[in-house]
Amino acid sequence: MLKFIARRLLSLVIILLVLTFLLFLMQTYSPIDPVRAILGEKANAAALAALRAKMGLDDPLYVQYFHYLGGLLHGDLGVSYRSRQPVIDDLKAFVPATLELGIAGMVIAVILGVIFALTTLSRSKPLALFRGFILTGAAAPTFLLGVLGVILFYKTLGWLPASGRSSESGHGPTRFLLIDDILAGNITGFFDAIHHLILPALCIAIGPSLVIGRVFASSLRSTLDYDYVRTAQAKGLTGSQVVGRHVIRNASSPVLSLVGLQIGAMFAGALVVENIFSWPGLGLYMSGAIGASDFPAISAITLILGAGYILVNAAVDILQGVIDPRLRVA
Amino acid sequence: MSEKLLDLDTAPHTPPQHRADPTSSSPVVAISGLEVKLTRNGKTETVLHSLDLDIQKGEVLGLVGQSGSGKSVLGLTLMGLLPDRSRPEITGSVSVCGTSVIGASARSMRNLRRNSLGVIFQDPMTSLNPTMTIGHQVLEAAGTKAEALRLLALAGISNPETRYDAFPHQLSGGLRQRVMIAMAVAGSPALIIADEPTTALDVTVQRQVLDLLRELKSQLHCSVLMVTHDLGVAGEISDRIAVMSAGRLVEIGPAATILSSPKHEYTRALLASRISLDTDKSLPLPTFNLGGDEPTVASDEVFDTFVQPPVDAPLSVDVTNVSKTFSVRGKKGANTLRALHDVSLAIADGESVAIVGESGSGKSTLLRIIAGLETADAGVGSISRMKGSRPQMVFQDAGASLTPWLRVDEILRERLVLENVPSSEFAERISESLALVGLGPEILRVHSRDLSGGQRQRVALARAAIVPPSILLCDEPTSALDAWMAATVINLLRRLRKRVGMSMLFVTHDLSVARVIADRIVVMNKGEIVEIGEANQIIHNPQNEYTKKLVAAIPDLTFAEELAS
Repeated sequence: MLKFIARRLLSLVIILLVLTFLLFLMQTYSPIDPVRAILGEKANAAALAALRAKMGLDDPLYVQYFHYLGGLLHGDLGVSYRSRQPVIDDLKAFVPATLELGIAGMVIAVILGVIFALTTLSRSKPLALFRGFILTGAAAPTFLLGVLGVILFYKTLGWLPASGRSSESGHGPTRFLLIDDILAGNITGFFDAIHHLILPALCIAIGPSLVIGRVFASSLRSTLDYDYVRTAQAKGLTGSQVVGRHVIRNASSPVLSLVGLQIGAMFAGALVVENIFSWPGLGLYMSGAIGASDFPAISAITLILGAGYILVNAAVDILQGVIDPRLRVA
Repeated sequence: MSEKLLDLDTAPHTPPQHRADPTSSSPVVAISGLEVKLTRNGKTETVLHSLDLDIQKGEVLGLVGQSGSGKSVLGLTLMGLLPDRSRPEITGSVSVCGTSVIGASARSMRNLRRNSLGVIFQDPMTSLNPTMTIGHQVLEAAGTKAEALRLLALAGISNPETRYDAFPHQLSGGLRQRVMIAMAVAGSPALIIADEPTTALDVTVQRQVLDLLRELKSQLHCSVLMVTHDLGVAGEISDRIAVMSAGRLVEIGPAATILSSPKHEYTRALLASRISLDTDKSLPLPTFNLGGDEPTVASDEVFDTFVQPPVDAPLSVDVTNVSKTFSVRGKKGANTLRALHDVSLAIADGESVAIVGESGSGKSTLLRIIAGLETADAGVGSISRMKGSRPQMVFQDAGASLTPWLRVDEILRERLVLENVPSSEFAERISESLALVGLGPEILRVHSRDLSGGQRQRVALARAAIVPPSILLCDEPTSALDAWMAATVINLLRRLRKRVGMSMLFVTHDLSVARVIADRIVVMNKGEIVEIGEANQIIHNPQNEYTKKLVAAIPDLTFAEELAS
């Protein structure tokens, strides 16, 4: 098992290197001249050349790449053209907000998806209604869900807030509000943060939850046809024992890889939803960066999202090995 | 299945209520007037017709029949495990260990299964949960770890403590079936239902499992319902044999009587179609298909018996000193598995050779190397292409080797195009090849997914023979078939060979089949050829210890005949 994990981690490192190399190439060959972007259009040739030399842009490509890699390892993602401060500092402010939203969304998506799948095993009417609700929600585009959610739950019912992460200002050490509030023992703050989280998280979760639910449902159905399920029934286990011990685990492998793949869709949804709910996360930061052609910022966001995607899928690979012993040898 | 799976009942461990009372003489199973209707693909069919059957305490009843005869449905009915999907309608009366099965609540059926029934299914690979250790799977039936270990030991698994944490894929087929048996005997069931428990196993393992079942049965004083398509297996273990055909019980009686003097025509047909070590090789095998397909090889057609090919005969296969190792990653890192070691084999033009061996013997690897599907690490293998087209393969599951959405004529045409046959010859070639396998021209417009199992096998054979190959390579083409289906395929293969004059290489684990189909038999064990010789010679006068063991392990009716006399 350790060997299996080590092998997976090694391939993870290689994929990350490929990703950084691609980003580096994009940066190098982009039409935006970083020196001019920093010094402005009116800078003189001498100043441009001096900064170019100082930034190492005259070095051979591979040297530049190693500098870039070394910088990454020290958290150096360049300086934002727009805010004139290190991109890493900007990210520290925005990434936790998006992560919190994304994780909450994924948790909700998985829970809804699993419930969706399990309800397909029953023929009861109210459960079919629940499935219809998810289906309708998933058919609507994320921004529409967001807008409708605000109209219904904020404007009409007044149950949920419409913008921001919290009613309080300031932040704790981790910048994850839920964690900070727990660390500070701030119960009202914790529930306030959850209150703010529900609507945007639900908006990004509904689409992926249907995908997860559908795949899990068909996986459950095909697993129920396996001989070992009949063996379990023949032992005299109860229905819930059969499903709980023999079906769910074997049915969950395709769902896991799907969750990994859906993370991408999820973050794409998060970028839209953040704009609707004024959620101070990467989505807001990125729309600003794109508007201003802030290349270091865009490249850093791409790196973060790409690396996150790769990390999640590596974790999925390892988890599949945990679930299914037959995969561990590969 | 749906509603049943979600009911959250709580008491799986109710004490046994139906344990058979050793003093009573009431039968463990009493069936009368049983009728079962199942709905498959929208069609409701009566699968069991007015069935009356008893199983006495301590008795082993062999239930024998062709596939589709309803024997497995009967076993599932006793367990209450007919799939809900096929909407079973059961009428009549069925009592198992005192519980009336028809109309019983889900809970009482569960208690019956837990306390009074043990079940062994055909394929231990698919019947065990691949993601749960075998220890835990036995534990579910046994209740405590100590009891699970005791059961594993009882089922003949050595070192149960270390094997406890193994997953099914880490065990051999024989060990996996022992795990199934350990689960089946948990809680000393009054009845064990064994559904084709040895069909997926090698002959030597089959022998061990049958011995184990017999031994456990006498230790536990339980009854056994042995469902099998093989009269030989039934004869080895049963006190009485019941023969089923098309959902009806056609004959029942003491095992020795059924085997030595069967009364019903169907039983006689079943016995006659069984390929034994003494079957006459020069005649077509008898086929009595009561299911509808007519016999396609006239029973008076004569096949040539063995003629030693001349020493200088042209070779169609020439393999010299071939070795093959596979690397397998196991628990302790990469290992190498020696699949073939220094194997040499020559097949003369027109000769038929069978390779026999158990799983893992390397027989299929050798075939794949000869077919060019695998490359050897060392040595040379060549196929003469002097005459005929490239070699053709016939697989175990011929149905799965036909693309389901193609029509039969498209399937046949495909090969003609590949072999550059002029299109003016197409129609003639197609009708010839169909006639050769006994199919009419009306089949050409049928999609292969709509063919019956027997028709699929024939289409696969027609495809192989439509352009006669230099050699026909067959990988266990009969092992998934009923006796008479197998007989039909063997007859067709022998006829093809005679008419078309091709060589044949036939891989099988079944010595009786090998003897009938081949001039020479090659016995393989652990990647090496241990014995090679004329077919009858190998069977009736084996020289090698391993060959002797293989021959001895074949269940034979003579065993039962000796009992009867």
